[in-house]
Amino acid sequence: MAGTGKLRQRVPVSGRANFEYDRIQEEEHTDDVYQNPNNRHPIEKILETDKASVVVVAVLTALAFALRFYKINHPDQVVFDEVHFGKFASYYILGEYYFDVHPPFAKLLFGLAGWFSGFDGHFQFENIGDSYTQNHVPYVGMRALPAILGSLTVPVVYAIMKQSGYSTVIAAFSAAIILFDNAHIAQSRLILLDATLIFFMSLTIYAYVRFQKLRYREFTSEWFGWLFATGIFMACTWGSKVNGVLTVATVGVAVLIDLWGILDYKKSPSMDYFWKHFAARAIGLIVVPFIIYLSFFWVHFALLPTSGTGDSFMSPAFQETLAGNEMLLSAQEIRYYDTVTIRHKDTKVYLHSHVERYPLKYDDGRISSQGQQVTGYGHADENNNWQIIPTKALPETGRGRIVRHNDMIQLLHVNTDTVLLTHDVASPLMPTNQEFTTWPRDDTSRFNETLFQLSLTDAHDGEAWKSKSGYFRLIHGQTRVSMWTHTKQLPEWAFRQQEINGNKNPSEKTATWFVEDIVADETGEDPKERTGHQPPKVPKKMNFFRKFGELQLLMLQHNAGLTASHPYASGPLNWPFLIAGISFWTENDPQKQIYLIGNLVGWWTCVVALSIYVGILGADLLARRRNNDPIPEPVRNRLWNSTGFFFVVWAVHYAPFFLMNRQLFIHHYLASHLASALIAGAVLQFILSETINYPISVEAPTMRRHKRQYVDIGLKGPIIFALFCIAMFSMFVFLAPLTYGTPGLTGDQVNGKRLLSSWTLHFAAKKTAEVVP
Amino acid sequence: MNPGGRAVAVDFVEDEFEEIGYPETLPTYSPHMDESAAARRRLGKGKPEGAEEKVWYDDEDDYKAPSVRSISGGRPAQLALPPPTTLREFIFQNMPSIPPLVYTLLACYTRFHRIGLSATVVWDEAHFGKFASHYLKREFYFDVHPPLGKMLVGLAGLLSGYNGGFDFKSGADYPPEVPYVAMRVMLATFGVGMVPLGWFTAIELGMSQWAAHLVALMVLFDVGWLCISRFILLDSMLLFFTFLTVFCLSKFHNQQSHPFDFDWWTWLAMTGISIGLVTSVKMVGLFVTALVGIYTLQDLWDKFGDLHLTPREQAKHWGARVLCLIIIPILVFMATFKIHFLILNHSGPGDAQMSSLFQANLYGNDFHNNPLEIAIGSKVTIKNMAFGGGLLHSHVQTYPTGSNQQQVTCYHYKDENNEFWFWPGWDQKDTVWDPKYGSHDPNDEEVRFLKHLDVVRLVHVPTTRNIHSHTIPAPVTKANWEVSGYGNATIGDVQDHWVVEVLGDVVRGDVNRYLEPKSATVDPRARIHALTTRLRFRHQVLGCYLSAGRTSLPQWGFKQIEVSCAKEEAGSKPAEGTIWNVESHWNTKLPPAARSLSRSPFLTDFIHLNIAMMTSNNALVPDPDKEDLLASKPWEWPFLSVGLRMCGWGDSQIKYYLMGNPIIWWGGSISLIIAAFVSVGLVVRRQRYGGGRGTRKPAPNSLNGDSGRNGAALASRPGDGLTQREWAQFWHVTRIAGGGWILHYLPFLIMGRVTYIHHYLPTLYFAVLMFAHLLDYFVFQVPSTASASLQAVPTSSISLSDLSSIPKIIRTFRSLPRITRIKVYVFSITVSAIFGTFWWFRAVAWGIEGPVRDTWGLAWRENWNIYH
Repeated sequence: MAGTGKLRQRVPVSGRANFEYDRIQEEEHTDDVYQNPNNRHPIEKILETDKASVVVVAVLTALAFALRFYKINHPDQVVFDEVHFGKFASYYILGEYYFDVHPPFAKLLFGLAGWFSGFDGHFQFENIGDSYTQNHVPYVGMRALPAILGSLTVPVVYAIMKQSGYSTVIAAFSAAIILFDNAHIAQSRLILLDATLIFFMSLTIYAYVRFQKLRYREFTSEWFGWLFATGIFMACTWGSKVNGVLTVATVGVAVLIDLWGILDYKKSPSMDYFWKHFAARAIGLIVVPFIIYLSFFWVHFALLPTSGTGDSFMSPAFQETLAGNEMLLSAQEIRYYDTVTIRHKDTKVYLHSHVERYPLKYDDGRISSQGQQVTGYGHADENNNWQIIPTKALPETGRGRIVRHNDMIQLLHVNTDTVLLTHDVASPLMPTNQEFTTWPRDDTSRFNETLFQLSLTDAHDGEAWKSKSGYFRLIHGQTRVSMWTHTKQLPEWAFRQQEINGNKNPSEKTATWFVEDIVADETGEDPKERTGHQPPKVPKKMNFFRKFGELQLLMLQHNAGLTASHPYASGPLNWPFLIAGISFWTENDPQKQIYLIGNLVGWWTCVVALSIYVGILGADLLARRRNNDPIPEPVRNRLWNSTGFFFVVWAVHYAPFFLMNRQLFIHHYLASHLASALIAGAVLQFILSETINYPISVEAPTMRRHKRQYVDIGLKGPIIFALFCIAMFSMFVFLAPLTYGTPGLTGDQVNGKRLLSSWTLHFAAKKTAEVVP
Repeated sequence: MNPGGRAVAVDFVEDEFEEIGYPETLPTYSPHMDESAAARRRLGKGKPEGAEEKVWYDDEDDYKAPSVRSISGGRPAQLALPPPTTLREFIFQNMPSIPPLVYTLLACYTRFHRIGLSATVVWDEAHFGKFASHYLKREFYFDVHPPLGKMLVGLAGLLSGYNGGFDFKSGADYPPEVPYVAMRVMLATFGVGMVPLGWFTAIELGMSQWAAHLVALMVLFDVGWLCISRFILLDSMLLFFTFLTVFCLSKFHNQQSHPFDFDWWTWLAMTGISIGLVTSVKMVGLFVTALVGIYTLQDLWDKFGDLHLTPREQAKHWGARVLCLIIIPILVFMATFKIHFLILNHSGPGDAQMSSLFQANLYGNDFHNNPLEIAIGSKVTIKNMAFGGGLLHSHVQTYPTGSNQQQVTCYHYKDENNEFWFWPGWDQKDTVWDPKYGSHDPNDEEVRFLKHLDVVRLVHVPTTRNIHSHTIPAPVTKANWEVSGYGNATIGDVQDHWVVEVLGDVVRGDVNRYLEPKSATVDPRARIHALTTRLRFRHQVLGCYLSAGRTSLPQWGFKQIEVSCAKEEAGSKPAEGTIWNVESHWNTKLPPAARSLSRSPFLTDFIHLNIAMMTSNNALVPDPDKEDLLASKPWEWPFLSVGLRMCGWGDSQIKYYLMGNPIIWWGGSISLIIAAFVSVGLVVRRQRYGGGRGTRKPAPNSLNGDSGRNGAALASRPGDGLTQREWAQFWHVTRIAGGGWILHYLPFLIMGRVTYIHHYLPTLYFAVLMFAHLLDYFVFQVPSTASASLQAVPTSSISLSDLSSIPKIIRTFRSLPRITRIKVYVFSITVSAIFGTFWWFRAVAWGIEGPVRDTWGLAWRENWNIYH
């Protein structure tokens, strides 16, 4: 056998390199495969016609709409995260700036849906359980959007499988896993982002499959069309939810593997050819999607011109671009000898001092300086007033008296006439940090220890210090510690106020303060008028890219910061097995509840299929290492390349969650679940039949024609599909009360629905047997 | 193995045979091996291209003259030379031994120089010196590290005549009777050993002589390695054994062409033993174990694809690895624990970590004076019987969550907060409380022994609170109910009631068979014994069991083990964490029961101690509220952003600062980055043009356009890249150095525990190897095109023969080919930089005397807190 010696080294990439090889393989198996489509089972012949395919897809889609729109008006209350996403839709309608960790595309769609259905934006979606009908919110229109997208996901799944060369029955099988899935349905019927995410993610897969099928017709308009379609859908996925970045990663991995194959000398004799491929993908899959992604944000900023709940997340410069922002209205330059109040940015306490002193000895035996206490206090108070004392000569009047970035200043506590000081004495609560205290103003023996450097955030040299907008750090001149506070309270001797101490970490982000208000200027007068009459301020302009950069960074930081524990959060390992769901909504009176949980039959089928798939690949790998060739080449090609792509989709949408520290929920698995449904179809095909539709790629006119093969599953396909659908549908109906939130269930019924003991359903009947009074 | 017989039709590339004609293009010349050996070492890989290839040109010599087989390290046995007649002849005959010898002597100097200067306990000498004392006093102690390193410290103490009487308080002065200098010298010997190991490893990795010198010099002159080797610490041993493992692995790699030979077995077994040793010093050794593991897996995967190996040979290969790399290391690891237990047979500070039975067998333990049978009113401590279990504990601090009642935890040290009384339930009338008599009722002369299914309260002695549970989720394990301390002697409710369930007795078996439910008295055989009876406490109301898992409480619970009430499905096997035994037992009414107990089996003790080590290692997470100035983050290491003060910084003290030689650290890190790029470039190139020189003939113009991306080395080489051998050698060293570095570095990034700069020291070795490897690849192994080659100027021969005539040396040098001169320049610049920085920073390792300000110019980076 001529090809044996090379077998072990062969990397199974499809492409031109394999023509010769494929031909050999093909001829070897000529006897096994059905070359004549007319020899197939009659059922198969009927099902493979276009007409049959249209009928099947129509039925699937109709069913999908029916299941997703069924009782979509129930409950007429705010459910789970509708609290957030409904609110954001209303902000778009009102034009008020908000902040969220997710990109805006899906939320823009909701805003649009709300606007179309006549929502005026005045309902704020404050709490889960708030009534829509009483507040006249056209919530059905808004819920219809995800329901439509969720329904359309089903035919897209069908089309992916069909395009990948699977028979109608197999494609319908994969689609049915999504069609009858309680988790997908529950997630699509509510104002949540996941339906949009999953719809566009499936479209991305579809477009990429189409693109790959055209790989022998490179650089044709069709080829470019599907390339750009992939890029556009990818951008929509990414723009819907932050998890969409995993879809981008998936396409990235697939493209890298693809390019890796093209790099081979045999496929691209000149490097120019390779670079052309590279450039096409760079434009189609990086530049275009990025522009679209940017445009979402452009629309986002354009729609939200006024000040809103998101202001305080942003930098002062950003806030000044929002109409009606407090910072914009009252920011004012600060001059020496002004009396100001200073607030901590994160905990919002005022820098405070009072005549009481630190106790000589703390409970743990350490000794203090017994100086005057300096604390953080949450309320307005005379003791929050500090005057800024210069350390350099000042001109009599004018702009020379403005305090600027990197100036060395003293802070005088007005009520006690003492100046702020820190020294190398351990603070009351943290032995590693320095104590802050004050020192009589007229005693100059410790003058050097009372000097602080004012360091404005992101400032250039000579920038003026402004109230409200000038965030700053106060760095001690001698020891270089930054004034800092944290939420721990001091004991009773300091009236449980917050500790203020000197943090030795020069890059501590939370050591940021701002001036809340200028109480008085040097003469004790209200300083508001000193710069003369001021025209009403207009929002400033800011470069779009700077805005985008700032928001993007904040989104990342906040996303990583979502680590607080949540009662329904679950670990990734639990997801494929449906160990735990999420309680979305409950209503006490008729004991109704919505509990997000998948269709047990479908999900476990997917898990089984995944393990079979990995097993097949492993066995094939080992067998070929020993020079055995158990699987015909076209079938192996399908398994490694086509199904392999689905597997990459699954893995890339799943594995990263194991590394994340943020709170995770089962609905993060839905994208991977969709991919596993595709794999389940492929595995079913592999089990049922050795035959295969091949080749499925569009061949180039110059290529030698492959001999065609046709799949023939025969009667067993439809039978298995029917049985599976019955099982799926039964399980779906059984769990439906939890998915639709109606009808109400008695305690015992709830117990009956609790198929796994780990499901935490509400209204479960209590078992009383164990309790001994 | 007859290679000639299996030349099958493989699509050989014609021009691969041409290489034989150009021996001077071989990448390596080293006087320590002849060319066939040098050639063979670059093989071993390249299997997927067909394993047969190598026999054609590599092992040819071996088949012609099987008697001159290699003895070790791929080096052939030297022909027996006539005995030397003059000194010069002797030196020439032993030339290869001279550099390592010289470096070893230099290492002795740097390591031992003024080693006793600081007569105080420096840094972690406080720990490891103390552990040595425990070994000498044979007291059982507990520590997170495996025992081998500490036993060797103890041995050093024993050999130098230390009596174990010093308590090694941090910063204290050594009293005259502590031979700390001798101990330091013995441990520094491991540090000396690192240097020749570095040299020989470089040789075994197929590096050129230049690179081998560089590796040895870098190991010699790094101030970090130097500094850490000079004290009574474990690091010198850890480093030594890490180096040894890499050396053994490289040796073994060079035996791959002769499987199942004596040498092959020797080095495979040595690798296994070395893994066992390094892991027995510190668990960090597992990283180098992983390196060996990955190497072996790849090797076996290659072998699995070698169709010429019979299944029997395959099985033999697998069996040999399992035996030498799994079983031997585990045996070595366990042997160190066995010795540990044999030495430490007296009661000491670590007792409470171990099972009650183990403790009872330590000398000086008073358990056998305690009464045997437990009665109502007994004061006891209660030990969890799960592996790594602690003593039931409570203290006045309260839970900040849940019920806010008093905390109940599991604790691994003995104090009076572990003591509890068994009292009857509230519903029993006679609950008069009188600790003086140790009985629930002073008038009740009859002792009521505890038995299966009795209802008791567990009363915490110092606070008199009752152990209590209720339907509030436990603070960490939310699925369980919280267990707290509630009420006092007079306040309480039924939620304080626990049903004692006897599972059996370790010695007497199932004691419940003697129970007579009807009878008022308890059959003596059914009584509960201290130490041996396995008990469970079922909450009478909730039906859950008192349980301690492995989860630690947060800082507010002092990282102690969480205790909760675990719900259990009826009929399931009792969970390990719910089984307890009585440990200490006091009851004035009962006589002490002198008795001898059977020993607990070694394997149980071994697992117990290891789980305890793991649990407390995991508890070493950084405390966010406390800033540890000594700790540093892994990303601060490769470019040496931080250093570490090892002792007090007073003007009169001898000061040591743990940092590295900046040139070596920076060079190593930069070379890792470059290596990543070069490797990617080469892999991309192989994907495009296939492996081996000229195996595919691309259009020349596309080639030139491409080669610029891979750096000067490729451009300066003929052909389109590397030959199969060059590739195999390059790739082997790259994956050992790069893979080793990643395996020693990434885990620190991922794991949550506190990290210090000395954790990078084993990692640094791989950076050093990569540094030398890259210089080797880019400079030293670039073949010289002219006829004069490196052989013309072995440095040592010049110094011997031509010392008188310096002009002649210069002339010889000028006549060398340009590439050779470049090599000399690069080599001398690198070496001078390394030596220069070493000399500049020598004081940080040899000790800074006087005010630190007097030593000028040490703070090269902002964060080095040498001066302030």
